[in-house]
Amino acid sequence: MAELNPVLLRYRGWRGSLSDNGATVTVLFGLGQFALLGLAAILTGYIQLATLTLFMLNFSLVVRSRAWPVARIAIEQLFCRRLFWGLYGLSLTVFLMYFFGQYLMSWAQNQLGESEVRVGAVGKVNPKWLLDFLRNALKFNGSAEMFRNFFWYETNSVMITLALSGSVLIGNDLRHGSLSFYLSKPLERWHYLLGKGLAVTGFLNLFTTLPAIVLFVQFGLLESWDYFADHSQLLFGIVAYGLVLSIHLTVILLALASWLRNTVPLVMAWMTLFAFAQGVSSALVDGLHYSPRWRLVDMWNCTFLIGNHLLSVPSEAIRPAPQPPVGEAALVLGLVGFLCLTLLILRVRAVEVVS
Amino acid sequence: MIAVPIPRSDEPTTTTKPLTLSTTPLLLCEQVSKWYGPVRGVLQVTLELRSGLTGLVGANGAGKTTLIRLITGQALPDVGRVLVGGHDARSTSARRLVGYCPDVDAFYEEMSGRQFIEAMARLCGYSGAESRRRAGAMLEKVGMTGRAERKLRGYSKGMRQRIKLAQALLHDPPLLVLDEPMSGIDPVGRAEFVTLFKELAAMGKCLLISSHELDELEKLTDHVVIMSHGRVAAADTVPRIRERLIEVPTTIRIDVTRGTNGDDHRRFAAMLMSRLLDLTALEASEPSEEIGRLLVRTRTPRHFLEEVNRLVLEEWFEIVHLKPVDESTQAVLGMLLARRR
Repeated sequence: MAELNPVLLRYRGWRGSLSDNGATVTVLFGLGQFALLGLAAILTGYIQLATLTLFMLNFSLVVRSRAWPVARIAIEQLFCRRLFWGLYGLSLTVFLMYFFGQYLMSWAQNQLGESEVRVGAVGKVNPKWLLDFLRNALKFNGSAEMFRNFFWYETNSVMITLALSGSVLIGNDLRHGSLSFYLSKPLERWHYLLGKGLAVTGFLNLFTTLPAIVLFVQFGLLESWDYFADHSQLLFGIVAYGLVLSIHLTVILLALASWLRNTVPLVMAWMTLFAFAQGVSSALVDGLHYSPRWRLVDMWNCTFLIGNHLLSVPSEAIRPAPQPPVGEAALVLGLVGFLCLTLLILRVRAVEVVS
Repeated sequence: MIAVPIPRSDEPTTTTKPLTLSTTPLLLCEQVSKWYGPVRGVLQVTLELRSGLTGLVGANGAGKTTLIRLITGQALPDVGRVLVGGHDARSTSARRLVGYCPDVDAFYEEMSGRQFIEAMARLCGYSGAESRRRAGAMLEKVGMTGRAERKLRGYSKGMRQRIKLAQALLHDPPLLVLDEPMSGIDPVGRAEFVTLFKELAAMGKCLLISSHELDELEKLTDHVVIMSHGRVAAADTVPRIRERLIEVPTTIRIDVTRGTNGDDHRRFAAMLMSRLLDLTALEASEPSEEIGRLLVRTRTPRHFLEEVNRLVLEEWFEIVHLKPVDESTQAVLGMLLARRR
């Protein structure tokens, strides 16, 4: 019989001595591993959280101290142009129509007992008819459709203002040499663009999201407190739609303005993207009955479709019909946004103040 | 090329704010070249500035503005590097050290002077209150307090220059780069600007002033950087540059008393021609009955002057006036440019 290796003997002995409580040790070992992993996860989580917090703090500091002064100058410029005041007036008219329309509806509701009521210069009308008209035709009913329509009307005037403001915000700085004043200050190139983007976003939300929220609050106060609870999703939709519009339009405008410095080419490019494309897609789908996917070439329709989805508007209430799937519209917007962002980054890297 | 770095040890260094960059040059351009496609902006420029006033002169297209853009971080050099206080000129840290007064008048015309300066102060990162305080102080410094509330579109060229200077001074930078700062300013304003620049230099700041008006620059400083065809043709004090140019062909005007015969100046000219073989041109005229004038162009001014001395002592000619006609910096520049062609 061959002699046993002493190492093997010792090994066997060790196993033998722990054979009774081996399962306990294994479980304890496993628990220890889990505890360590958990601890590591918590620590990693904390580190990630701390990193994220630091990043956000740093970003907000950069926005406040670097981008905001640029945005402030840009906003002042936008509000100084008398040419734009007509468009601001148009936006304000739309808002006031919705704002006082809700009061008119509330008043008509209280007049339902009467057979006829006098409405200013319009003359005498049946309050029930007036209520139906306001609720169903004009959709002053606090529904998703009301906010969708409101966004639609407001973005019409905002889009024209943005088309004209691109050269005011960026083009003129590049063309006339005002960029020297910015870039000779302790600002990075992306601070400059972030500031300009902030101005466009702020401007856009001032005429779309903010008044929509005011209307939402107003309708809730006129209707009942339950409106806020029942339509909380709507508030989320309003904010999300505003966000989509802001990001998308800001990125496109900045990219176009940084490449096309003059007003006329910029307006032409903008109109091509948002008006000409709409005409083409409408002619193809509604006129020639091509696939509704052709509507995807129309950026405005894509944002509109996503807005409807975010506001939870029923698909049968979306006009024009038929429409492509929302996911595809989102994909197109994402791709265009990515392309514009790439162009913008290339431009920012290459920017030099050269006359 | 005559010289490249400018030694600034002879400049006054009374500083109100001690510079921590004493070992590092405030501005260092190392073999910087910049091309705009096939067009040469600057070529192999090396320059070092520490403090005091320095003039940057050169003809149109000499590369002054390109050099200024490289220094202020608005353009990226293709070759070489530009450091401001040890930092890359394109970095935020470098731009904190630089105040830039551009030559363009691209303002936001609908703003008032004060609004514009306050907006620029906010771009420097100051709070609203601090921006207002600094804007007020700078407007006072450039003499625009009384006219600060007017819209920029109503400003004259001189007022615009003052506003541009005010925005460059906002963050109290140690290096000031001023592109044609006195262009369009009336004589009183120029005198004020000259005083201000000298005060700033006395405070230990480093000023690089670009100008076409060499007479104005000479009132400010002796130190000049002369640029030609994208290169630094000379960088030193004007007398030193002139000294180095002593062997460069020079035109000299000599006024000689005509004497009893009335032709002493012609006799003097004949003797000069017999003794000096390198005279390239000699022109005689009689501006008055007593004085005869010679305009002489020589290739070797030093040798020429030695011979003139000898001739005067030997033949007792009476020289009333002897002066190189191209004494000014303008002539130095002209010579340098001509040499490089």
